Amino acid sequence: MSARVRFAAPILIFAGLLALMQWLGGGRLTTLPLLTIGVSLLCVALASSLRWSGLIFRVRPGSSPYTALLFALFVRHFVLALGTEARRVLIARRLSVPRTWGRGAVRSLVFAVAALLVRSAVRAERFYAAQSLRGLGE
Amino acid sequence: MTPVLEVEQLTFGFHSKRPVLSDISFRVEEGECVGILGANGAGKSTLLWCLLGLYRASGVIRLFGAPATAAVRRRVGVVFQNPEDQLFMPAVLEDVALALINCGVPGASARQQAAAALERVGLAGAAERPASQLSLGERKRAAIAAALVGSPDLLLLDEPTAELDGRSVRELTGVLRRLPAARLIASHHLEFLGSVCTRILLLSEGHVTAEGATAEILSDEALLERAGLV
Repeated sequence: MSARVRFAAPILIFAGLLALMQWLGGGRLTTLPLLTIGVSLLCVALASSLRWSGLIFRVRPGSSPYTALLFALFVRHFVLALGTEARRVLIARRLSVPRTWGRGAVRSLVFAVAALLVRSAVRAERFYAAQSLRGLGE
Repeated sequence: MTPVLEVEQLTFGFHSKRPVLSDISFRVEEGECVGILGANGAGKSTLLWCLLGLYRASGVIRLFGAPATAAVRRRVGVVFQNPEDQLFMPAVLEDVALALINCGVPGASARQQAAAALERVGLAGAAERPASQLSLGERKRAAIAAALVGSPDLLLLDEPTAELDGRSVRELTGVLRRLPAARLIASHHLEFLGSVCTRILLLSEGHVTAEGATAEILSDEALLERAGLV
C-alpha cells in the first residue's frame, strides 16, 4: 500500500463509519462524510503548503491571527504526538498478542485504544501545564 | 537576605487518606543549587508541581519573600522531565522566543535574546531546526534555554538527566553549573546531583528525611539505602 493511501485510510474509514451510522440510524445519507473528507484534505493541503517557520515573529501578540496561529500549532503538535503514541501502542500490541486478527483481537485493540486515550490525556495535561507556566493561557 | 524560595509545612495528597507529601519545609537562597533527591515515587515531581501552583497544597509557599501568586511565578523558569511537553514550535529559536513574544517583546529583540539563550546552552547551531530533529540531550538543553530566556531568578528542573546518555549528562552538568540563578533540581541521579548541587534534601515516601551538604548526604550509605537509592 502506498504511503498516500495509508495516510488517507483513517480519514476514509472515519467517513465510512459516519455514513454507516447515518444509514443504520435513519436510512438517509447526508453530505457529512464527504464534507469530512473535503475538510481533511483542505487542512492537509494548507498545513503542508504553509511555511510555518518564522510566522510567530510576523503576527502581533494578542491579535486574532496570533491566537489562530498558536491554536494551529497546538493542533499540529498534538496530531504529531498522537501519531507517535498510536504507533507505539500498535507496535506494543502486535508484539504482545498472538494474533492481531481473529479471536481476542478486538479485545486487545480496545485495550490499546484505551491506553492511547490515557497517554494522550497525560501528555495533554503536561503540555497545558508547561504552556500555562509560559504565560500562554493569559 | 530574603530567600528565593521558602516552603513551610507543605502537605498534599490526591486522596485525603494518605498524603503524597507531608510537612515539607525548606528554603533556597539566592544563587544556590539545591537537589531534591528521592527514589521513584518519593514525591519529587509532585513537590515541584505544588511549588508551581499546578497542584493545590496546604502550607506556605513564598517566592522572593512574597506569596506565590501567578505574577511572582513569572520569575521562575521550569524544565519538565519530557522536553516534548514544552517544545512545539516549527524551530527551536521560536520555541525559546515564544515566552518573550507573548509578553510583548518585539520580534527582533525576542529573536536576539532567544539566540543568546541558545548560545548559553551550546545550541546556537540548532536554532532553525525543529525540536523533533534534535537528540534528547539537545532537546533538554533547548528546554533549559526556553526557561532561561526570561532571566528567571529561580529555575526548577524535574529529572533533567532522565533517559540521557553519559555525554549528554556531562554537557547538561556543565550548563547547569554555569547558571547564576538559584536552581532546585529533582532527581534520583546521585552522581549528577553530587556534581551540580551544594545542598540536598532527601525525600522519602513524601517526607524530608534528611537535609544537608551534598557530600555529607551522598556519603551516608545507610541513609541512601533506607531511601531506596542504592
